[in-house]
Amino acid sequence: MAGMRSQAMHFQARAGQKLADEVLQGALRRAQPLFTAKRQKGMASLAADGLDFGHLRAAAAAIRQAVLDDLDVWLELFEARAKARGAEVLWARDGAEVSQLVVDLARRHAVRTVTKSKSMLSEEAALNAALLAAGVRPVETDLGEYIVQLADEPPSHIIAPAVHKTIAQVDALFADAHGRPRQTRHSSDIPALAREAREILRPQFLAADMGISGANFLVAETGSAVLVTNEGNGRLVTTLPRLHVVITGIEKVVPTLEDVATLLRLLPRSATGQDISNYVSLLTGTKSADESDGPDQTVFILVDNGRAGLLGSEFEPMLRCIRCGACMNHCPVYFSLGGHAYGWVYPGPMGSVLTPLLTGLDQALDLPWASTGCNQCGEVCPVDIPLPALMRGLRERQQHQQLRPRGERWARRVWGWLALRPRLYRWLTRGLVRYLHWLADGQGRIRIFGLVPGWTAGRDLPVGPGRSFHELYAARKRD
Amino acid sequence: MSARADILARLRGAVAGSDRVTRQAAAEARLLAAARGPQPVLPPDGRLRFQQRAVAQACTVDAVAGWASVPAAVASYLETHDLGTVAVATPDLAAIDWASAGLRVACRGAVDADQVGISGCFCAIAETGTLLLLSGPQTPATVSLLPETHVTLVDSRRIVATMEDAFALLRAEHGQLPRAVNFVSGPSRTGDIEQTIVLGAHGPCRVHLILIGETV
Repeated sequence: MAGMRSQAMHFQARAGQKLADEVLQGALRRAQPLFTAKRQKGMASLAADGLDFGHLRAAAAAIRQAVLDDLDVWLELFEARAKARGAEVLWARDGAEVSQLVVDLARRHAVRTVTKSKSMLSEEAALNAALLAAGVRPVETDLGEYIVQLADEPPSHIIAPAVHKTIAQVDALFADAHGRPRQTRHSSDIPALAREAREILRPQFLAADMGISGANFLVAETGSAVLVTNEGNGRLVTTLPRLHVVITGIEKVVPTLEDVATLLRLLPRSATGQDISNYVSLLTGTKSADESDGPDQTVFILVDNGRAGLLGSEFEPMLRCIRCGACMNHCPVYFSLGGHAYGWVYPGPMGSVLTPLLTGLDQALDLPWASTGCNQCGEVCPVDIPLPALMRGLRERQQHQQLRPRGERWARRVWGWLALRPRLYRWLTRGLVRYLHWLADGQGRIRIFGLVPGWTAGRDLPVGPGRSFHELYAARKRD
Repeated sequence: MSARADILARLRGAVAGSDRVTRQAAAEARLLAAARGPQPVLPPDGRLRFQQRAVAQACTVDAVAGWASVPAAVASYLETHDLGTVAVATPDLAAIDWASAGLRVACRGAVDADQVGISGCFCAIAETGTLLLLSGPQTPATVSLLPETHVTLVDSRRIVATMEDAFALLRAEHGQLPRAVNFVSGPSRTGDIEQTIVLGAHGPCRVHLILIGETV
């Protein structure tokens, strides 16, 4: 696969490293309650305006699903209207084609520097590496993306790319890159660091020949891109350079401006708890002859990179995703490991579903299992994607495609065979729970379980009261 | 096969449903209907709601009775914050007598050196305390973007309830969208270092609103 190399096969090994990383664990511990509190605040403000989350998310999911039902038609409508307003519309099958198109554009327009607003698709395509190889300097301008670019790391969160970094680490990166005298060290100095980034990046914004952004939505009605940001970098990147390139997935179309309004009641609230992000820009076509600002040329690159394969499958609901990050913000696995353990562009529950589907089931064997099954992600998803069910679906596929270890596959088949024979199943479980109870120590725990010692390497196996669920249930019914 | 043809063919193979002509007609009908989703229940006083939400977004808000009082209000804000007497304004505000309040205002697009930008707005949205700015020859987007301080003049009669109402007004008065429609809700900010919100990222650090017109 072209584009960013997936490291998702190394999930287990990386998980071990991340658990042992004290600095990372500290950063994650501090971040999690902030994320969840922000969304709670956002949900409270919805309720205060008489809006019901369930009602609104049903509407949002319906908008996204309606587009998927006729995705070909909506893309053609968008394309026709974007072109009618003077934009160019290009298509890319995969990350390599994205990079090729952008490098070609850069050559054709004699581009030397590029400023970028956050685009996860450019991460999929590993676009920065391709631009550097072509002699074009890409500058990430979202503060979080800028920090991870300085650190030469991929983002670890889709809306907070540097959530894994502490202020001391950011300070060290800035010291290296900017060569300015240092005064900052404490959390109270974060404004000074943000100020420093503003001062360093402003000349880059002014000098860039090409601006690259993603799009939160493409509006079919008007042929526009919708960009939702807080820092203002998205506005600078799409206003100052003479050439603006929008790189986005083919699933991002929404029909009307009214649909954008509905989705915007949920997106910022789910992501950062804001009623609305600071800047929502609706960008259409290019500047007119009598305007003093705006790009002379706007190019949309609509990217498939595996998405078409989800359409019409049981995994189609994943294409409804609006990239708010709420699923990872509420995921116990994400906050135990951080985003880098997931090994590709997208972390957390949405990444555990999307990475195997876009990069290959056999390229991310552990990800569908990186879940406690708690369904917090499904509860908070603003477009009602059944994330745990999709992860279970991927596990089933692994089983059918013989991608799990032989012993595991056999165990599952034996269990399946038993589960279809209730009397035998009950008889065996009665025996098994008694055996486990006998094995356990006084506190009802098994410290080392001889059958699967690996499972008890980092934890104890808790054991029930020595009677099977069916027995207990029957006893309770008798009472 | 071109990437476009290839991708569209794959999509057509995957979507169920009737023939393309019927599906396209249904899609176009959906565009014309412009149906709204669930709407918020907002207090009747839109001006008050707008003001409260704008303040919650870290804007500062002043109110004057009419356009004639605008230069003095701007001058007073700049003086209070020690921001001098020089500003850049969008050309649509050229008719305002800035000099009467001792201000030196250039009506043009902004450049990096400009410290204060003054603009009007197409309308304002009560639900979220948001300004809606349109780009155009008379309203360059840089004025609300490059300077550290952005002063916006808001005509009280142009406060609408929701984003949907703003779109309806935009369709009625402009037909097609200008190059950039910018919804602005307070000064730029970032939470990218340790989730700590800092005002003044890459856009303005201060957004000051002057509400013009009678309080209802």
